[in-house]
Amino acid sequence: MNENRFASGFLVPPGVWLLLLFVVPLVLVLALSFGYTDDLGEAIYSTRLDNYERLVDPDYLPVLFRSVGFALAAVVLCLLIGYPVAYYIAIFGGRWKNVLIALVVLPFFVNYLIRTYAWIAMLGDDGLVNGLFDSSIRFLNTPYAVIGGLVYGFMAFMILPIYASLDRMDPALIEAGKDLYGGPWQTFLHVTLPHTMQGVLAGSLLVFLPAVGDFVSASLLGGPEEVMVGNLIQQQFQASDNWPFGAALTVAMMAFLMIFMLFYLRAAARETREATA
Amino acid sequence: MSTVESRPTAPARPAAEPARAPGRPPKEFDRPRFLKLFMGVFFLFLFAPIVLVVLFSFNSSRSLQDFQGFSTRWYETFFESESLRESLVASLEIALVTMVIGTILGTMLAYGLVRARTRVSSSLNVLMLVPLVTPEIVAGASALLLFTQVKLELSLTTIILAHITFSISYVTVVVRARLVSLSHEVEEASMDLGATRWQTFRLVTLPALWPAVVAAGLLVFALSFDDFVLSFFTTGESPQPLPVRIWTQIRFGVRPTINAIGTFMLVISVVSIGLALLLPRLFGRRESGLKVLLGREAA
Repeated sequence: MNENRFASGFLVPPGVWLLLLFVVPLVLVLALSFGYTDDLGEAIYSTRLDNYERLVDPDYLPVLFRSVGFALAAVVLCLLIGYPVAYYIAIFGGRWKNVLIALVVLPFFVNYLIRTYAWIAMLGDDGLVNGLFDSSIRFLNTPYAVIGGLVYGFMAFMILPIYASLDRMDPALIEAGKDLYGGPWQTFLHVTLPHTMQGVLAGSLLVFLPAVGDFVSASLLGGPEEVMVGNLIQQQFQASDNWPFGAALTVAMMAFLMIFMLFYLRAAARETREATA
Repeated sequence: MSTVESRPTAPARPAAEPARAPGRPPKEFDRPRFLKLFMGVFFLFLFAPIVLVVLFSFNSSRSLQDFQGFSTRWYETFFESESLRESLVASLEIALVTMVIGTILGTMLAYGLVRARTRVSSSLNVLMLVPLVTPEIVAGASALLLFTQVKLELSLTTIILAHITFSISYVTVVVRARLVSLSHEVEEASMDLGATRWQTFRLVTLPALWPAVVAAGLLVFALSFDDFVLSFFTTGESPQPLPVRIWTQIRFGVRPTINAIGTFMLVISVVSIGLALLLPRLFGRRESGLKVLLGREAA
C-alpha cells in the first residue's frame, strides 16, 4: 500500500468526527437563525430575517459594540502588560526561562470561574481590599472590572506567542542595533518589535477572539450596564428560550470574528507548510 | 527600551562605571531594574487571587476577609455532600474519556495530516485549527442545538462528545509538531527491513511520538476537567460536572466551600500539567516538556 493511502485512512475517523460534531452544528445554527419560535415556544426553521432585524434594535446594538470595545481594551492591556513580561523572560530569563514561562501558564490552569470568583472576594463591596483599607470603593459592576477579568483570564494567550517569537529571534540582532548606535528605544522599535510582529498579531487574535464571546467575566464582575454579546446568547439559549434569536446573535458574532480568524488561519497554515515542507 | 529605565540609578554610584573592564559585555547595566519590578508586580497580581482562594479554603470561619485559624471544615463540607461528590466523579469521568478518545483521534489526525498529501488533508489542515479560535460559547450553543435536533438526551455523554470535539485540535497541534521533527528515513528504513506500513507505524512511529501523545493527553485532561462553557451548554440535570456546580454556587454569593472545591480542582489540574511537563524527561529525553506542549519542534 502506498504511504499516501495508508496515511489518508487515518484522516477518516477524526475528519468525520469534526464534520459531524463541529461543522454540522454550525450549519444548524446558521439555518435556525432564519427561524422563529411558535406560540408554544418551539423553535421552527424558516426563512425569515426578523432575528437579524432585531440585532440593530437599540436594545441590542450597543451590546454588540460594547463586546468589541471591551475585547479590544483587553487586547491592548494584555499587550502592554504581556510584551514586557515576555521580553524579560526571553531576553533575561537565562536558565530560569522555562520556570518563568511555566509560572505564567500555571494560573491559566486554575479554573476560570474560580479565578474570577477570587476577584469578587477581593474587590467586592465588603471584600478583602475594601476591608484592608477600610474603604468603600466600588470596583465590581463597572466596565473596568469586566475588562480586568478578561485581561486576567486570557493573559497567557498573549504572552506565549510573543515569548515564542522573541525566543526565536537572534539576540545578535539587538546587539547589532546597538552597535549601529541605535538607542534602546530605537533598537526596540526598528529591530525587536518588527521581528516579533507575528507573535504580537497571533497573541492579539488569541485574546480578542475568546474575549468577544466571553460571558463569564461580564456575568460575575459586571452589572446590567456591562452585558456582552456572550451574555445575550447564553440568555437566549437558556433563560429566555428564544433559540432562533440566539442563533442569529451567534451567526452575527461568528461572521464578524471570521474576518480575524481567516487572518490567523492563513498565518498558521503558512507556518505549518513551512514546518512540514 | 532596556537601558532607559536603569539610567536614573547610574548617578548614584558614579565610581562603579569607569571601574568596569573595557572588554566585558555590559550585562548588569543592560538588565533593567524597572522591568524586574514590573515582573514582580505582574506575578503578584497573577497569583494573589489564587493564593487567596487556597489560603481561605483552610479558614476556620466563614469570613473571606480575615483568616481566623486553620481548619479543614470546608473540605469536609465538600466531601460530605453527596451531590458534590457525584459531580467530582462526573468531572473526572468526563475528563478521562475525553482524554482517551480525544488523544486517539487527534494523534490519527496529526499522522494523516503530515504523511498524506491529498486535497482532503489540506482542507482538514485548516478546518482543525478553527475550533481553537472559535469562542467556546459558539461551540457550546451549536453542540446543544445538534443534540436537541437528533433527540439525544443531555447527559454526561453529550458533555463528553462536545469536549472530544475541541480536544482533537489541541492534540493534533502538539503531536504534529513532534511528528514533523521526526526523520522520515527511520520509517523508510523499517520498511526496507521488511516491516509493513502498519508494523512501522506501531513499532517505529508511535513509540517516537509517545512523549508528545502523553503530554497532549494530560493537557486535554486538564482542559476538559476545568471546562465550564461547553459543559454548561451540554449538561443534563444530574450529575452536573463541578465547574457547572461552582457557577450555580457563585451566583448565590461568595461561599467558603467554593474555595475548597477550587483548591482541590487546582491540585488535580496542576498535577496533570506538571506530569505533562515532566514526562518527556522521564522518557529519557533531554528536551523540555514545555516545548513539547507548546507544540514547537524539539530542536
